[in-house]
Amino acid sequence: MSSPSKRREMDLMKLMMSDYRVEMVNDGMQEFYVYFHGPNESLYQGGVWRVRVELPDAYPYKSPSIGFVNKIYHPNVDEMSGSVCLDVINQTWSPMFDLVNVFEVFLPQLLLYPNPSDPLNGEAAALMMRDRPAYEQKVKEYCEKYAKPEDAGAPKEDISSDEELSEDEYDSSDEAVVGKPDP
Amino acid sequence: MVMRCLGALSRALLHMFPRKRPAGGEVEEGVPREAVVPKKLKVECSKSEVAADGNHRPPHGMACDSNGRNGADIDEDLHSRQLAVYGRETMRRLFASSVLISGLNGLGAEIAKNLALAGVKSITLHDEGIVGLWDLSSNFFFYEEDIGKNRAVACIKKLRELNNAVMISTLTGELTKEHLSDFQAVVFTDISLDKAMEFDDYCHSQHPPISFIKSEVRGLFGSVFCDFGPEFTVVDVDGEEPHTGIVASISNGNPALVFGVDDERLEFQDGDLVVFSEVQGMTELNDGKPRKIKNARAQSLILEEDTSHFGAYEKGGIVTQVKQPKVLQFKPLRDALSDPGEFLLSDFSKFDRPPLLHLAFQALDKFKHELGCFPVAGSEEDVQRLMAFAISINESLGAGKLEEINQKLLRHFANGSRAVLNPMAAIFGGIVGQEVVKACTGKFHPLFQFFYFDSVESLPVEPLEPDDVKPLNCRYDAQISVFGSKLQKKLEEAKVFLVGSGALGCEFLKNLALMGVSCSQKGKLTITDDDVIEKSNLSRQFLFHDWNIGQPKSTIAASVASSINPSLHIEALQNRACPETENIFDDALWESLNIVINALDNVTARLYIDGRCLYFQKPLLESGTLGAKCNTQMVIPHLTENYGASRDPPEKQAPMCTVHSFPHNIDHCLTWARSEFEGLLEKTPNEVNTFLSNPSEYTSALKNAGDAQARDLLERVLECLDKEWCENFKDCITWARLKFEDYFVNRVKQLTFTFPEDSATSTGAPFWSAPKRFPHPLQFSTSDPGHLNFVIGASVLRAQTFGISIPDWIRCPLELADAINKVSVPDFQSKKGVKIVTDEKATSLSAASIDDAVVISELITKLEGCARKLPAGFRMNPIQFEKDDDTNYHMDLITGLANMRARNYGIGEVDKLNAKIKAGRIIPAIATSTAMATGVVCLELYKVLDGGHKLEDYRNTFANLALPLLSMAEPVAPKLNKHQDMSWTIWDRWIIKGDLTLRELLQWLKNKGINAYSISYGSSLLYNSMLPRHRDRMDKKVVDVARDVARAEVPPYRRHLDIVAACENDEGADVDIPLISIYFR
Repeated sequence: MSSPSKRREMDLMKLMMSDYRVEMVNDGMQEFYVYFHGPNESLYQGGVWRVRVELPDAYPYKSPSIGFVNKIYHPNVDEMSGSVCLDVINQTWSPMFDLVNVFEVFLPQLLLYPNPSDPLNGEAAALMMRDRPAYEQKVKEYCEKYAKPEDAGAPKEDISSDEELSEDEYDSSDEAVVGKPDP
Repeated sequence: MVMRCLGALSRALLHMFPRKRPAGGEVEEGVPREAVVPKKLKVECSKSEVAADGNHRPPHGMACDSNGRNGADIDEDLHSRQLAVYGRETMRRLFASSVLISGLNGLGAEIAKNLALAGVKSITLHDEGIVGLWDLSSNFFFYEEDIGKNRAVACIKKLRELNNAVMISTLTGELTKEHLSDFQAVVFTDISLDKAMEFDDYCHSQHPPISFIKSEVRGLFGSVFCDFGPEFTVVDVDGEEPHTGIVASISNGNPALVFGVDDERLEFQDGDLVVFSEVQGMTELNDGKPRKIKNARAQSLILEEDTSHFGAYEKGGIVTQVKQPKVLQFKPLRDALSDPGEFLLSDFSKFDRPPLLHLAFQALDKFKHELGCFPVAGSEEDVQRLMAFAISINESLGAGKLEEINQKLLRHFANGSRAVLNPMAAIFGGIVGQEVVKACTGKFHPLFQFFYFDSVESLPVEPLEPDDVKPLNCRYDAQISVFGSKLQKKLEEAKVFLVGSGALGCEFLKNLALMGVSCSQKGKLTITDDDVIEKSNLSRQFLFHDWNIGQPKSTIAASVASSINPSLHIEALQNRACPETENIFDDALWESLNIVINALDNVTARLYIDGRCLYFQKPLLESGTLGAKCNTQMVIPHLTENYGASRDPPEKQAPMCTVHSFPHNIDHCLTWARSEFEGLLEKTPNEVNTFLSNPSEYTSALKNAGDAQARDLLERVLECLDKEWCENFKDCITWARLKFEDYFVNRVKQLTFTFPEDSATSTGAPFWSAPKRFPHPLQFSTSDPGHLNFVIGASVLRAQTFGISIPDWIRCPLELADAINKVSVPDFQSKKGVKIVTDEKATSLSAASIDDAVVISELITKLEGCARKLPAGFRMNPIQFEKDDDTNYHMDLITGLANMRARNYGIGEVDKLNAKIKAGRIIPAIATSTAMATGVVCLELYKVLDGGHKLEDYRNTFANLALPLLSMAEPVAPKLNKHQDMSWTIWDRWIIKGDLTLRELLQWLKNKGINAYSISYGSSLLYNSMLPRHRDRMDKKVVDVARDVARAEVPPYRRHLDIVAACENDEGADVDIPLISIYFR
């Protein structure tokens, strides 16, 4: 494993190399957004979520913080905050994992196999256990309503969509040349 | 072996907090303290009575003096950190113990300090000698003007100031056996072997026996001998919490097979005794009888019990380890001397040393006996005499005789033997202080029986000539006799940065002052700490006294250290060392330093200083403590890895869903309580103020966000200003009463409505299966002290946030109950289809189906209406959690929240002290391990300041005084990276001169066969080969890109910019290149 100081950069690079659309905020490496597509063969297929990724100072020793920005109906995702209750991201995280694992494996698994026994969204869990068809209906409704690809920004192509942001970002950074950094 | 224990300590933190004893008599919530204490005392005093956990009896020597301080309450403000290590019972025993310390050299002083801070009942100091120049090397109680006074008498005033609850007295005449009978433990630091044997025979034969400890430090060598009597009971052998586990199944069989739940590891060991509780079905196991286990695994264990005729296991069950007391049979010194048994080993590279030192110390005793003095440093004649004694004693040993006597080691031993060095005194003062605590309380495993230690690696690399070690008639003569005057000069001229002035910092300052470090005008000690002194500091931070409370730590510590040694050249700063203060701790300061010593209490600061030391190539001496444990790590440029090179995983946190809805232990309840406290009293009032200070900006920002979180924030703000607005204290009572209903009744009803007790998961398994516990709502009653305490705490704090004064009548139970009973509480109505976790808003009717944006607009309209009606300039007062003020109701509310939730879920409750330790994340701390850590570090300081020592001379340490364990090992070398014909470690840096563009930088790397795909400055990305827009930056100067992106100017005094490049070689493999410094001006 390479030196921890470079893990953020390597992880970011690997995500981009795996064709994930990554939205940087002023080129900071501590917080950015990744566009995540509902896995095929799942109720969430066709939905696109903007997922906020925060890398703490102690990353990769400490796990990244992952949150769905647009709503998702899922027993293990808090409907309001979008926080994910997933042991591999929270309790059993290892520095050997990286962001590609999160987006290629952990999140798709979570969406394919919700665990209603440890719910964060109790209503979704109860519904899933009691009335499967109604639950599936609701998941799809949410996808329709909150996770349309067109709402998540431009459809997934290549990362050139990042260009769109660059103008805003350049504007703000030009201003910042005059200003002082926050103390 | 790599000893990386600091992180392991923090990892162990969560598991180390004392939990409520299964059936112990902890103070119950709501019961007045006075009513409880006498009851508890009775249990402790009657020795025939078996304590509630069925397996411990008070050790001998424990006196229950109902007139003494034993009857008084423990000052929890003062002792909270120590209580977190020992618990109340041990502390009470300590408070009842009288100790004799004979021999007030540096070692005696350290032991006395540690015991006064711990809070024994009395300390008697015995010494017949007078203070001499050599004593100033190690006894911090002595000032130069004390020379010529009796040593015990010269200590007494300053010792008393450390803890005025401890009775201090002196004995200045000859000690007789009769004197010893007054004490539970006696310690000798300077006594002949003959006299020691005589005294120990007496102590050993008393009923109960008196614990006897003999310890010596002679130059870089030290020894301890303990005899706690023929039959000493250790109540707690390791200080660790009893393990517990959640049962998933138990078989009917002989023996029975027990499985734990999937997601938690069982941590039992073969031979442990365990008890069961809450088992359903096989209820026979709930009888509280300890049963033995074997084949302990992570998920299962075998119980030595025939359960075949028991009821069939249904569900539930908690299995808890029962800690076993241990009886030790100590031999008296007379017998142990010729048959020492196993020595406690501290360094595997010195496995053959203890028997040799056992011999050496006897030879030294003989030398002193025959010649009436110590060997003179540098005298070959004295070395030969000592050697002859050692050889003759060895010859007399018969079978136990050593094959070979290491002459070189004995020469070092002889030369330094007269000197009591401060670092050695600090180490042994910590060890012996802890042994006295063990002797008095039975807490932790005693040292059995001899322990020897040396640090000859601390000697200068260049051999010392007799001239080097000649006394100069100065206060450092003792130290000079061991290390020579050249090293002494280096110490005095050293430029040192001591980061932190807490417990470690105080001990370090004392050590440095005594050693003479930075004690000349050429030397300079810079100390910084941004904290002020609090009462809870005083039980370890011994440079501070109660009259210093509220004053800055670094300044006070510096001024006390200067009175220990007036030559100390010290500057005290009150700044936190962090990225924001790099203008204060600037390059010039860093470049001037010889050495940096960390005395910090958190990993973030440690990593920061580590980074700075790495950058400026300065040696860093790192240490940390946790309860009886301590560790030290040496970070030496180019020789060792840096502190941040290896890390332990962060503390495990309970899963969110567990904390939110499915707690199964008190920690989960406390975590939840902390987070509710913060939400109710800090975050929401802050949010309200943000809104009030600029309503239009606030609402438009939330409108833009337009998501569920924005909506939630608005709802909270609106609640505070509208429905739950508090005008007077009665409103606050109403609010608190309704909060109770919401938290402990309605939410539980809602949860059990959503998941009824018999609900099943998709697979048909019961939803409410272990570790989940099925909750039950509470029924509020003003006659329940727990309920009442919650309402008091919540209403008082609510009133504070609204600036409402607290009426006196809350102290009157009847009036209070009356006010609470008047609150009208609406009946619970289950809300179908409403989520559980965030179910607290009446407004969120069918939350999911209404669009957030619409709701947000409505909320904003309502909020604007409310704001118009507010008194002008109204602001709420956010409350920040402060654990250490016993009168502020913070811990009352948190304890109330946690315990009521625990009651919902049938989890054992916690008392306020333990709640404070856990919720306040109080780090258990005691003076002994702290002192010891700094002593060990200062032995390394000699090596660093001497210069030229090799890696194998350095030692990292891990110690646990509870076991006891002392383990020293060579530090790990830094990782060597190779690329083509280059090699480097983390200590190297690549330097480029010139104001390069990004393109030129990439080319510079390319020329080395390295392709950079990502370049960053701090946490800002300057360049990433995948981002097309970054290509525009290629022809900009790197320094300009850094300024634009990271929005940071390179400070004017700095000529360079440091960047990190993530690179690959031509084959596409990662190359971990050093930091690159671009000197652009």
